[in-house]
Amino acid sequence: MPTTITEQPADVVVLGVGFMSGVIAAELSIASLNGGKDYKVVAITKGPYWDYVNDFSTTKYDEWGVGLGRKYDSPLPLQSATIRNTPQQFALPVRRYTMPIQYHALGHGVGGAAQHYGGTMGRQGPWGYQMRSRTDTRYPGKLDTINPHNDLEDWPLTYAQYEPYYVEWERAHGLCGNYNGSKTNSPSDTGYPWMSQNYPLPPAPLTPVGQLFQTATQDLGYNPFPHVSALASQPYINQYGVPVNPCVYDGYCGGPCDYACETGAKANAAYRTIPAAMKSGNFTLVVNSFIFRLDTDATSGLVTAARYYDPQGNVHIQPGKVFFNGMWGYNMIRIMLLSGIGAPYIWNSDPTLVTGAVGRGLTNGYTPYRGTNVSGTLPNNGGNSYPAGNGSGGSVDIYDLMDDNFDHASLNFIGGSHIGAGGYPGGGPGNITFAGGVSKASMGGPFKATQKDKYLPTKTTLSSTPFAPDLPTTDNYVDLDPHYTDLYGDPLARLTFDWTPNTYNGATYLVNIVKDIFTKMGASNVTVGSTVSAGAVHNDWWGHHLRGGCRIGTAPATSVWNKWNQCWSPVAKPVFNIFGAGEITNTSGDTVPSGTHQAGPQSYRAAEGIKQYLALLTPGLLT
Amino acid sequence: MVDQTRREFLKLGLAAAASAVTASAIEIPMFGSQNSAMQTQLNNANTQVANLKNRVNTVVGFISLSVTEQSLLEKIVETIIPTDADPGAKEAGVIYFIDRQLAGDYGQSANMFMDGPFVPPAQTGPITVGTQTYAAGSPKVRVGAGTNYQYPLNLREFWRVGLIALQAYANSAYGGNFETLSSANQLQLLQDLWDSKPTSFSNILPSDFAYELVFMSWAGFLMDPIYGGNQNMVGWTFTGFNGVNFGNFYGEGHDQKALMVATTPTRLKPASLAQYQQQASGSS
Repeated sequence: MPTTITEQPADVVVLGVGFMSGVIAAELSIASLNGGKDYKVVAITKGPYWDYVNDFSTTKYDEWGVGLGRKYDSPLPLQSATIRNTPQQFALPVRRYTMPIQYHALGHGVGGAAQHYGGTMGRQGPWGYQMRSRTDTRYPGKLDTINPHNDLEDWPLTYAQYEPYYVEWERAHGLCGNYNGSKTNSPSDTGYPWMSQNYPLPPAPLTPVGQLFQTATQDLGYNPFPHVSALASQPYINQYGVPVNPCVYDGYCGGPCDYACETGAKANAAYRTIPAAMKSGNFTLVVNSFIFRLDTDATSGLVTAARYYDPQGNVHIQPGKVFFNGMWGYNMIRIMLLSGIGAPYIWNSDPTLVTGAVGRGLTNGYTPYRGTNVSGTLPNNGGNSYPAGNGSGGSVDIYDLMDDNFDHASLNFIGGSHIGAGGYPGGGPGNITFAGGVSKASMGGPFKATQKDKYLPTKTTLSSTPFAPDLPTTDNYVDLDPHYTDLYGDPLARLTFDWTPNTYNGATYLVNIVKDIFTKMGASNVTVGSTVSAGAVHNDWWGHHLRGGCRIGTAPATSVWNKWNQCWSPVAKPVFNIFGAGEITNTSGDTVPSGTHQAGPQSYRAAEGIKQYLALLTPGLLT
Repeated sequence: MVDQTRREFLKLGLAAAASAVTASAIEIPMFGSQNSAMQTQLNNANTQVANLKNRVNTVVGFISLSVTEQSLLEKIVETIIPTDADPGAKEAGVIYFIDRQLAGDYGQSANMFMDGPFVPPAQTGPITVGTQTYAAGSPKVRVGAGTNYQYPLNLREFWRVGLIALQAYANSAYGGNFETLSSANQLQLLQDLWDSKPTSFSNILPSDFAYELVFMSWAGFLMDPIYGGNQNMVGWTFTGFNGVNFGNFYGEGHDQKALMVATTPTRLKPASLAQYQQQASGSS
């Protein structure tokens, strides 16, 4: 018979344990090292703790189990989400993991989605923090022309203000790279993400294709730099004294199947920040526990406790002084909506009549876009498309074709794309990707013949799908689904999303520039593929880098979190004692590789905010 | 009826392996050191025995497919990946992979979200679900997408009704059971399914079933042999995939980073997950 159990109160209760939560857990539980006091931290997550040696070392090389079975990822019978393109449609639930068309899977367990990502990183440039104001200043009226229901805002802080937090976050996770393409690397460079300190580890060795890209883009006047990767290129010890093994380059790491790392080289809270919290003696980790509600006090409005189910179905009540919402994506929004925290976003076809902030401003990350692309062939440049590889190192990027680093006056979009080439050919086998991408053509002898020796290529196919950033509109949002529930009977998150014109307008322009780069690299048969327009069926591949929807901002009417990542969304009683950070709290962003890297600095900002909040005599908003 | 050629093939394979594996792994504990040439030789011998064991352990026989499903599906997968100068679905044991999948989590839809209501995609609207009306219907999605499968059937049931509908279509459109059709017609029929040409198909979209057939056939050809298909790694040998041989599984001595940055490919003999685990645990 399930019972209700009340746990010992904590100073800080952390909801979900991924990248952001790991920072909060470490920074608060060892706060005395920085001259403050230590805090008691309890972190709760729905999945298990994965020990990379024990859990991954012999069973991870399992393409079928990982690729379709998603054996390390979040089970769909526990919880799914529903998806539609417009507010007038019924939203279909995601029923299964398929490859490669919908391979988005929520992470499961300590470390969250970082167990399966490719480790790709990269800072967001200064423009990305001020897209709204910089665009309105330089190109008045342009935003409303591109997206009539434009809902873009500036971030509450500038790049320069986030820069020190970037440094801390990169040190904690041992990122590899060598600056970010800035010509001057000084704060006077307002176009590129200058760095006060280089990445803590050098980049992984460049591949031959990466080197070709580097030379070609240099010749064309761009500023190439090694792709930023979270797969340690050398042995490393971070600022918390946590040792890190280097990558062993045997692939099966990132790639389309999204493998776990058996050496811990791939940065992940479980092997970077959580060990520091564990060592502090002030930290409790609660695994296999599903948070379903936050209790609030009717008088003060503050959150008093988190409620969760343990695997036996018992209800646990975890009281605390401050709560940190580190759940991934739509789950961060869902727990707020289920608990009545913050003003829920209410859509209206008239953009002036929309209200609320929780669920507002949903945008999509970079990988899911499937549309306008350009490809070419590099002769005499084959190699081992497998076995070797690491998830994200070895390639070269340029940022010259993103942000406002080129003139947009005559263009029908803002921002652009990071362009790169040369990632290690391995990373993950492509068998399941291929099998899942089958079509009418994938049958019979002639097709079979095209597959012979496909892993032994004597030439390299270059391919790029650039696009301009997805911009927030009043029509893309998250709310609670009226038809479907999770295993415990609570409504699923419902995602209403369609690509905005900025995305495919940008693609149409950028492919031709990439075409020139590929040609300069010596590629033959460089061709531009299909173009994409509104309403095209390309909205089924998406979901694994959602941004916005629970954004930080400059006004409580339109954003959930303030500049300390503290909740300020007005409801009947303001809820000051919950903070949050993650990709989903990014206000906006250009197409840098990872929304995680943009979110990282917010976790350090929030850790500072939580300490300040705990020192307040009366609960209130930090200024 | 099970195809005679494959039976012969399997019989031969079993016979060849059976004689070798009667001896268990040979060990000389006092020469535990890696430096011993003798031990290396013995290790190699043990690896060979293990390889043969793997072959004996390949899956044959059925635990889920019915007799009529076996003969029908056998011809379908052999149409999708025919045997020519190189092995095809038959030699890879694709049908055994699918059989095991249908009997397990895949067939039970164990990791799928299977709560109702079940509303098909691409409804033009308006549609009413429960008490709500949706003017624009439901989203268009591509076959194979995670939101595309919206049937109140687990995948085992889906295959059951799909195979029945396919056989009925073979009879109505081509005048006989699928197994009796010419190979050209067999391929043409599967192409019809992709085009959703059959108008009556057990209330499922023919192209959804075609996707599942082709997806699972190639998966059975290319996934690790531990799942019952890709027997003797014929699929990997065909595509040049190395499995878990990272360049030195059989003592080839390739440097991992050198392989990674090479501009010409190196063919590696594939190794399977079971072999890898046996090597990792030091057992044979």
